[in-house]
Amino acid sequence: MIRSAIQHWSSLVASLAILAATIGPARADGLDGFVVQDPHYGEVLFHFYQQDQFTALTHLVTARSQNRVQHHQDDAELLQGGLLLSWGQHDEAGKIFERLLDTTDDVSVRNRTWFYLAKVRYQRGHLEAAERAFESISAPLPPELEAERYNLHARLYMDNGRYADAVALLNNWKGDETWTAYANYNTGVALVRMGQLEMGATLLDRVGTMRASTEEMRSLRDQANVALGFSYLQAQLDGDARPVLLRVRLNGPFSNKALLGAGWADSAGKNYRAALGPWLELSDRDLLDSAVQESLLAVPYAFAQLGAEPQAAEHYTRALDIFGTELARLDNALADAGSDRLLNSLLETEPGSMGGWYWELDSLPDDERTRYLYFAIADHRFHEGLKSYRDLAALDKHLAQWQDKLSAYRDMLATRELAYAERLPVLQDKVARFDLPAMLAQQEQNTQRTKQARATRDVVAVAPDVEQKQWRRLLAMESAPAWDTRAASGLQDKQRVLKGVLLWNMDKEFRVRLWRQENANAELSEDLKLAADQFAAIERATDSLPGTVLNFEQRIDALEASIGQLQTRLGGSMGQYAQFLNAIATEELVAQRERLLTYRAQARFALASVYDRMAAQNR
Amino acid sequence: MELKAKLGRITAVLLLALTTQAVFAGPADPANELAALDQQTQALKKSVLELNRDLFVLEEELLYPSNTQVAVFVSLDVGEYFALDSVELSVDGKNVSNYLYTERELKALQRGGVHQLFIGNLKVGEHELVAVFTGQGPHERDYRRGASLIIDKNIGSKYVELRISDSEQAMQPEFVVREWE
Repeated sequence: MIRSAIQHWSSLVASLAILAATIGPARADGLDGFVVQDPHYGEVLFHFYQQDQFTALTHLVTARSQNRVQHHQDDAELLQGGLLLSWGQHDEAGKIFERLLDTTDDVSVRNRTWFYLAKVRYQRGHLEAAERAFESISAPLPPELEAERYNLHARLYMDNGRYADAVALLNNWKGDETWTAYANYNTGVALVRMGQLEMGATLLDRVGTMRASTEEMRSLRDQANVALGFSYLQAQLDGDARPVLLRVRLNGPFSNKALLGAGWADSAGKNYRAALGPWLELSDRDLLDSAVQESLLAVPYAFAQLGAEPQAAEHYTRALDIFGTELARLDNALADAGSDRLLNSLLETEPGSMGGWYWELDSLPDDERTRYLYFAIADHRFHEGLKSYRDLAALDKHLAQWQDKLSAYRDMLATRELAYAERLPVLQDKVARFDLPAMLAQQEQNTQRTKQARATRDVVAVAPDVEQKQWRRLLAMESAPAWDTRAASGLQDKQRVLKGVLLWNMDKEFRVRLWRQENANAELSEDLKLAADQFAAIERATDSLPGTVLNFEQRIDALEASIGQLQTRLGGSMGQYAQFLNAIATEELVAQRERLLTYRAQARFALASVYDRMAAQNR
Repeated sequence: MELKAKLGRITAVLLLALTTQAVFAGPADPANELAALDQQTQALKKSVLELNRDLFVLEEELLYPSNTQVAVFVSLDVGEYFALDSVELSVDGKNVSNYLYTERELKALQRGGVHQLFIGNLKVGEHELVAVFTGQGPHERDYRRGASLIIDKNIGSKYVELRISDSEQAMQPEFVVREWE
């Protein structure tokens, strides 16, 4: 039983690696307090701060192409690099960061760029280059980035086996509570690996007993206790291991490992009765976890060690039944692994959104087909491949949405063309009936007349039509043949009086009327200018609309063709990923099957031994 | 003894696993299949990103040509005296947008993000914009306040900012509608 456990731990621990994937708290960008000068840059940040990274990236790229982030050139470049990096575009991100370092003198931007460059290089496995980038950071980064910088740098040291440097680095750093917990954890693990268990245990114990208000912190606390518990077991400090392992929550992601370890601690001290407690609890749990599989053999082993052969036989028989059932289910899953059904069922669980770029597959749908992928996702290649497959599926969906939109825009343009064809004759008729040149000439004449009236103080010229008419009639009287006769003398007097009154009135009103006339002329001039502009606009629109529509139609054609080509490429790439992922899944399922077969063989052998002992006792 | 030997190996693997982050994978072998697929994926994503940019530009030019385009943005400065719930926007007396903010969006605004509340088309000339802000003011009292602006739309895009800030002196929120310069 114990020998077989060693083989199983490799898969158990590999799955733990996935469960422990979030080794640092959720990242922030360090851009808080930024004063937005370009609205479109602020709009990008609005999406970015909501973790809607794909929208932020696409809007940023568009805004930059339209020259709408002029006040934030360097920051926009840096943000674009960071977003690309998060989206797995390491090469493009790297180019941006290197270009930025060549062009900017801003120390803050340069330091942040070095940090991102270090991150790219680390992710690409260029550890020495990553180290150089870390060393180029000349001043503290914004708090959130600073925390990530220290933790990433420490991990880089640990990857290089430089545990002492990692410990020294993290000891010199003070961060917020969450990051400090992670730093203590990482330092503790580094110390244990250096052989300094006592010092490492102090830090791991600190994390293992901390007050945790979030699930993330509770999970880290459990993780620290599991790590510390197993370190004690390794150091043969079984008595210390048990209480530490029992601190792990019973229902957390690390509880199975903790229960198995607690049983081992008791078993190592020959206290098989105590070991049965955690192992029996474990043996009723989901068989997917290899700790549970292990417990199915551990429980009868403990009974056998206690001399309780009948119970041992009963539990070995139970284990054989369970392994048999599980093997049949595994065979079905293996049959599925060759098709796309496994991957499709995984994608069904989360619609193709591109929001969660820090997506980690840490839980699987409770589905007969997919539950065995638990083992496959423990494989880094599978996990990364699935992430890319999912991104590509989401992009495919995204392009399909654009295709629908383009189709709607094409209809819209057709409607515009139709409306244009219908309205054009009506408009042309209106334009033809509107004699703008004649109106402009008339307006010019009016202006000249008013100017003349002002120059000669022509009170009649600005008088209303009625008064002008009266004035003309009074003057006309003087030309009549009978005007100079004696009989007209009375009329002449009247005419003189009326003429005088009229002239006096016109003279009195002259300045007001002249002012009104000049204003009216100016207003008319403005109106005619507007009309002329509108005429020109109508003419331009009449001439350009067919061209504009055609231009849009051509662009839509070209974009639709590009979408089609890209979808073909996406389909091809997704096919390759599916093949790749199915191969890993099959490999893992076969390995799992072999492990179960081995367990079954061991259980059969152990059961036979128990029966032999029972028979011997009865003789 | 057997158990101890096993534990030695287990603990070493366990500690390795616990310190390994899937996101930050160790050195990659560029020759492996995943690396080749990754290169292909990067090229594909780059192409999609460029295409997406062209699609956005086309969409905007088609739906909101720059000579008629008007965009209204909401921004928040501090926001201690006012917890924004919603903004209602009218242009020339016609309601064009009613937006209810989620907590996540509010946090994004508080961190300096700017929300594009409205984008549309307006003719050249004067237009009146009226924004009504609803939320909780000082002492958690319901608060509703309006602000307006007459804009002179010329040829070329016009950007308007609805800004909510804190007046330290009056210990009250301030609502400003202004053209974005």
